[in-house]
Amino acid sequence: MRLRYLPALLAGVSLSLSAAAATSDQWTLPVNVKKLDNGLTVVVSEDHSSPTVGVSVVYHVGMRLEPRNRTGFAHLFEHLMFQGTPNAPKGVFDRAITGGGGRNNGSTRPDFTNYIETAPVSSLEPILWLEADRMKTLDFNPATLKNQQDVVKEEIRVNVKNQPYGGFYWLDISQLGFQKWENNHDGYGSFEDLEGASLDDVRAFHRDYYGPNNAVLAIAGDISPAQGFALAQKYFGGIPARPVPKGSDFTEGLNTQEKRIEQSDALAQVPAVAVGWKVPDQGSADQAPMAVLSELLAGGDASLFYQSMVKGREIALNVQGGFGLTGPFEYGGPTLFTVFGLYKPNSSADAMLASMDEQIAKVVKDGVDAATLKRVKTRMLADWNNDLENILSRADTLAKLQTLWGDAHVVNKVPGWIEGVTSADLQRVAATYLTKANRTVIDRKPAVKK
Amino acid sequence: MKQLMLTMIVGALFAHSAQAADVPKETMPAAMPAYAKDKPLPVPHIGKKTLSNGLQVWIVPRTGIPRVDMVLAVRDAGFAADDAKHPGFAELLAGLLNEGTAKRDSRAIAEAAQGMGGSVAAGASADGISVQASALASQAGPMMQLLAEVARTPSFPDNEVALAKANALQTLRVSETQPRFRAERAISRAIYGDHPYGHMTPTAEAIESTTQELLRGEHAKRFRPERALLVITGRIKEADALKLAQKAFGDWKASGPATAEVPKATATAKPVHLLLERGGSVQSTLRLGSPGIAATSADQIPLRLTSTILGGGFSSRVNIKLREEKGYTYGASAGARLLREGGSIVGGADVRNEVTGAALTEYFNEYKRIGADLVSADEMKMHKRYVAGGYLLSNQMQRAVANTLAANWLVGLPAEFLGQYVPLIEKVTPEQVRDVAKKYFAPENQSIVVVGDSKAVGEQLKAYGDFTVTDK
Repeated sequence: MRLRYLPALLAGVSLSLSAAAATSDQWTLPVNVKKLDNGLTVVVSEDHSSPTVGVSVVYHVGMRLEPRNRTGFAHLFEHLMFQGTPNAPKGVFDRAITGGGGRNNGSTRPDFTNYIETAPVSSLEPILWLEADRMKTLDFNPATLKNQQDVVKEEIRVNVKNQPYGGFYWLDISQLGFQKWENNHDGYGSFEDLEGASLDDVRAFHRDYYGPNNAVLAIAGDISPAQGFALAQKYFGGIPARPVPKGSDFTEGLNTQEKRIEQSDALAQVPAVAVGWKVPDQGSADQAPMAVLSELLAGGDASLFYQSMVKGREIALNVQGGFGLTGPFEYGGPTLFTVFGLYKPNSSADAMLASMDEQIAKVVKDGVDAATLKRVKTRMLADWNNDLENILSRADTLAKLQTLWGDAHVVNKVPGWIEGVTSADLQRVAATYLTKANRTVIDRKPAVKK
Repeated sequence: MKQLMLTMIVGALFAHSAQAADVPKETMPAAMPAYAKDKPLPVPHIGKKTLSNGLQVWIVPRTGIPRVDMVLAVRDAGFAADDAKHPGFAELLAGLLNEGTAKRDSRAIAEAAQGMGGSVAAGASADGISVQASALASQAGPMMQLLAEVARTPSFPDNEVALAKANALQTLRVSETQPRFRAERAISRAIYGDHPYGHMTPTAEAIESTTQELLRGEHAKRFRPERALLVITGRIKEADALKLAQKAFGDWKASGPATAEVPKATATAKPVHLLLERGGSVQSTLRLGSPGIAATSADQIPLRLTSTILGGGFSSRVNIKLREEKGYTYGASAGARLLREGGSIVGGADVRNEVTGAALTEYFNEYKRIGADLVSADEMKMHKRYVAGGYLLSNQMQRAVANTLAANWLVGLPAEFLGQYVPLIEKVTPEQVRDVAKKYFAPENQSIVVVGDSKAVGEQLKAYGDFTVTDK
């Protein structure tokens, strides 16, 4: 009898130990959500550890919804949001944020555009006033449009045209990997389309997509939910809702035939390969397993791809993975899990692919042992928390999750989703998504010098 | 997509927006609410203790995220300690620390760190090597042990050294294709001459001649408790952190001679004009530079504020002029870089070919203006608040606090500097800004480096001096 109880007791001991560990490593964010009468959704997450706040305004429009002959327009528009309004002329926005001790930025993605500020809490009301002001209207004028067309062109020159590899692992691979225009056009834009943008385009885009009912405001930091909601009502409550055009259907299934091209790069000295696989739809039961699988394969120095290609065969200089331009829980339409690596001149794209396939096949066949799975999940959970430490990224994550999932509480659900992934889940998603047929490959080689 | 590129390109400081000259600077919209009263500046408590072997330990307990961050900073171990034949060596040395120890191979180290929900890795800077580690709060003890293991007992296995060298050579080839890398390398040489600060990027010869023996010898010379600081921040009690530090590092002893101390860097240099050929380039990458001052020099505080006003953010003068008024660039910056034994003044932007000369004119005009006219009270106030806000924002991140403390210590600033910095900045006067600007941003003292297509931009540069065209 005693002996039979011993294992149970030991199990009890180890359980209580891991429970203690889990408690000390636990971190749950307070999330409070309220919708104003005009449709603006407001999320507040309170944290008084520092007298600062993070603010994010996310509009549910990105590259997928920009006009057809206006590639890059969503991004150009993002720039114009900083160019002033009738109430706050050009220059005021940055000067007010800087003078308040804050920082600001914006970014454009396929499914959303975000505007972010972080500052001492003493600047919160000016920040909210400025965000509300540009939600109402902009100063539509030819000078600022021309100025920002020039700036965006310089941005594309510095990041694409004047750089080796030129972002091919996110720009070109999407163009190749997807079927529908919404998903496969150049979201940075052609110079011709950017130059063709008119003030009427700007007006229409603002009217259609930048109303309060198409936006989420999140505030994190040194503020209570009651204060946050009251301030949101004070500054945004009076902005009327505006009709939002119905978007087109941009869903598409997995690819059924491998796509592969070779590109020549005049600026590169070392060849590179990018491989993209279409991933599960947002909200699919396969989404969290895909996230864990991506971490197992391409998440840092302990990952299978790093250990097999950078170490092991020593054919790659580096290897990294990602979900388009966002994270595994921050997309709303078709997205790729993309692996990018520089490979050694005496190796080949085929060798890189073979090495990846070998690791994927192992997962499909054997799954992953319990110790490895635990390690991978532990790092993922830690990283999820790490990304939320900064109150700006906390506000921004809450605003994005509310926009994409309709539920900011997803921020506290993701850890459980990750925790629940099993080895069998990894086998299933590896077999379903990381197939040759669903794969898009770009082999980018240095141009032969004349 | 401004921010987007920041994730892709290291060092792209400027990602976004606006500021204008057509609006009087002091004008704010009447309807905009005023800033609320500022809350007092919180100064973190820093527990300090020196172990019997000389290792200093600074501890900043925090109550936020369930993570502990550690930085072991080692002074006189960075690029400035590299010999003339091995520029950039410190990076190889740092990179190899977690590729094998007396007990574990590289994979075992990576997997152990992953299982603790963190990582351990080292990097080199001019004045030191910093080994950084982080882990879930519950794993603070094991991670401290792992940190000590990689810092104290790296084994530099033959296969890992060979791989690191091969990869470093390839990485150098990749870097050579990036105009910013070439521009930075050239401006550093122009500013610092033969001083080690001027030679911090590797050469193929330096990489090829690195051996296991050299790595072992340099590790012994450089990694010494009496030249090191351990910073611990996060969800841990001060006494517990100290115990972990004592257990992992208490018996650490140096052996043999140490590296020599780094000489003072030059304070003057004859300006040079270099055009680094990059055929077919659609932009020119510009750098203007001259010798500056050490981080502990008397002028450092006014110079830091001057740098912020002139070229430190979206609302800085050069960014407003070159980006928002002229549309020449995605972002322009300028300012002081402060090291332990000297420093530099560097400005730069990537601009399209046609405006290469015009961009230099705008830079020099702004340099002249800030050295001649007093900055208005409102502009002073705006940038002082920007500095204070930056302090608050970075202090909310425990990793940033750890890194700032370690970086300050490496350049000779005490723990207390963290809390003194903002009050000191607030005391700077417009006269001080003008005077340090005149002294350090004088256009005639600036070397100019342009990486670009000589056929496209050579003619425009003639007005700015005789440019030596070179491939390096």
